Amino acid sequence: MMARKLIRERIPTPEQDPKERIFNFNEVNLGYTFELAQKEAERCLQCPYDYAPCIKGCPVHIDIPGFIKKLREYREDPDKAVKEALRIIWACNTLPATTGRVCPQEDQCEMNCVMGKVGDKINIGKLERFVADYAREKGIDDELLSEIVPKIERKSQKVAIIGAGPAGLTAVGELAKMGYKVTIFEALHEAGGVLMYGIPEFRLPKAVVKKELETLRRLGVEIKTDHIVGRTVTLEELLEEYDAVFIGSGAGTPRFINAPGVNLNGIYSANEFLTRVNLMRAYKFPEYETPVKVGKKAIVIGAGNTAMDAARTARRLGAEVIVAYRRGEEDVSAREEEVEHAKEEGVKFEFFLNPVEFIGDENGRVKAVRFEKMKPLEERDSRGKRKIVGTGEYVTLEADTVVIAIGKTANKLIASTPGLEVNKGVIKVDENLMTSIEGVFAGGDAIRGEATVILAMGDGRKAAKAIHEYLTKKREEQESA
Amino acid sequence: MYKILEKKELAMNEIMYKIHAPHIAKKVQPGQFVIMRAFENGERIPLTPVTWDREEGWITLITFIRGRTTLRMNMELNEGDYILNIAGPLGNPAPMKKFGKILAVGLITGIVEVFPIARAWQELGNEVITLHVSPNPMVLLREEFESAVSKHIVEGFDLKEGWGMDEITQELVKRGVKKVKELIEEEKPDFVFTVGPAGGQKMIFNIVKEYGIPMESDLHPIMVDGTGMCGACRVHVGGEVKFACIDGPGFDAYKVDWDELIHRSGFYSDKEKLALEVYLKNLQAQGGAQ
Repeated sequence: MMARKLIRERIPTPEQDPKERIFNFNEVNLGYTFELAQKEAERCLQCPYDYAPCIKGCPVHIDIPGFIKKLREYREDPDKAVKEALRIIWACNTLPATTGRVCPQEDQCEMNCVMGKVGDKINIGKLERFVADYAREKGIDDELLSEIVPKIERKSQKVAIIGAGPAGLTAVGELAKMGYKVTIFEALHEAGGVLMYGIPEFRLPKAVVKKELETLRRLGVEIKTDHIVGRTVTLEELLEEYDAVFIGSGAGTPRFINAPGVNLNGIYSANEFLTRVNLMRAYKFPEYETPVKVGKKAIVIGAGNTAMDAARTARRLGAEVIVAYRRGEEDVSAREEEVEHAKEEGVKFEFFLNPVEFIGDENGRVKAVRFEKMKPLEERDSRGKRKIVGTGEYVTLEADTVVIAIGKTANKLIASTPGLEVNKGVIKVDENLMTSIEGVFAGGDAIRGEATVILAMGDGRKAAKAIHEYLTKKREEQESA
Repeated sequence: MYKILEKKELAMNEIMYKIHAPHIAKKVQPGQFVIMRAFENGERIPLTPVTWDREEGWITLITFIRGRTTLRMNMELNEGDYILNIAGPLGNPAPMKKFGKILAVGLITGIVEVFPIARAWQELGNEVITLHVSPNPMVLLREEFESAVSKHIVEGFDLKEGWGMDEITQELVKRGVKKVKELIEEEKPDFVFTVGPAGGQKMIFNIVKEYGIPMESDLHPIMVDGTGMCGACRVHVGGEVKFACIDGPGFDAYKVDWDELIHRSGFYSDKEKLALEVYLKNLQAQGGAQ
């Protein structure tokens, strides 16, 4: 047998030209075709399961070499290849079209890819996305569901999930596959959480998310929208009806800057700005009835993934955009790909600027932001970022639109439940993600403050396992009693 | 999906919808509101349940036809039709305690929000006087108030030809301020409560302030989600940023930054006008085709 030839360079995925894409909300990355995906799959070294650094790096432990192998195995039969690859992915992750797009693969599965020692790392994210997209387009996902669903052994125990975002949906997928009767309680009118309201269409098309929700429904999951836990129904009431509860309510409350003028018109939290545009489709106003106002000059404050989403959204709505960050470029927390995309689209970056005042015009609309110039110190903080201090020098930048993307804190409606222990706004959990109330588990931003989609999904999966163990024990106790 | 059980025009442009929404009916308290989305491409708007039946599982909402959504609801939704989404109850219930003598003021449709709160205050043993300031054709719930509170006063005025919303609001404020002053002198209330457009509430507050009477106002800034997630409804209260949806809707009128609230409430008025015009144009085009 001939030795496999190493292909050092990554097979690129086609992208929409930046000059065109700033005028539309269509997806930027166009993804692999079967031929391209196959070529990329050929590059994989197929590390053994127990060793593969990609599996170890994945918070939901997908058998990555396994699904890539299927793409190679059935080279003559793309449908079969994708079906078998999807079967492997679904064992750990029922939302692959989403994670293939929004996971920070470079810090997780791809980080320690062995191929990286001799060339480019395998493009695992785009391969995962390919499998999910191809399956959806060809109806292979439905076919696979028809095989899986009848085999699920239904259990009588019921689980309530609070919040239909990444953490909740992952827990739901796992629990539904195990046969539990699962109901999701979602406050908004559409399920998906940050996948629907936060991440823009050009990065994660909403039709993709909706199809993944459809998969969950077919697994037997009930989704109750318009239900705000803490108002419509309380945690105590859920515990009367359900055998276990998982809280994945996210980091629902935006943080504002404590500076004069912060409530001027034209100043949005990233949550409001993105919710108007994504969930309510304000970019299609007046066909869609929710408006958004973006002027000629927008400043986005913050430099995380949400800030990039806001900047690129404002750009598409016609503004010149500056991202202003109080630290330096090395401490930008957004993914490199997002920063690159933003730059390609003409977003400018200004570093070491800390907002101190928002200046308004005579109608109460913001017209400029005053910043103090900051400078870095050698010392680093607990997160490894360089500490900064003010210089006493100030600069004023014009802006008729400001988006504040400096983070969020946990939703207080649920956190104020009696008996539920909370620390600095986030829910306290033990190593099995159980909260201070027996049978109530939590994960995602509700316990982390603010993190990523995939960490939330990792929690969802871990919590599902813990819930399964908890309910199994409970069932056995009841049967022996 | 929530079924419209009954629809009725209570007064000019004031439409009542009785809706099957057991999840709201079971929990709602006076002072709380819901967020409703009537159409697939529709906006989320806050509305206040006026009456409800916990056992039968219905609530009533009253809309004043002003913009595209309320007009479109009236044009397109009838008994037997469904409303896509109603989320809630949201916000904090009104403070249910004994204040003594209460003057509760509703400007135009603001009065519908006063109703459940005033009735509950009266039942609690307060002496409640309600004042409805409104153009005469839009006066509503008169009998309901009369049987629920100690005294119900309607300060009505006729609409003049060519008046738009601006002129109506001006007249409303002028009448409201005058009547409130009179009532404070005559009735000497221990507590004042208001619901209505921010500009009108501010003017009433300016009078009440002169007498130093404690006052609370329900605020209606623009909202999107209504669950504390977006901060669109934020307003400075006592120097702190508060969200009307989760910290309110009722606030101490003495602490509210009224001018900020007025500015913020008007931010989208041009867009709202455009949305309405586009809808009217479509209606005309459809009419032409028939």
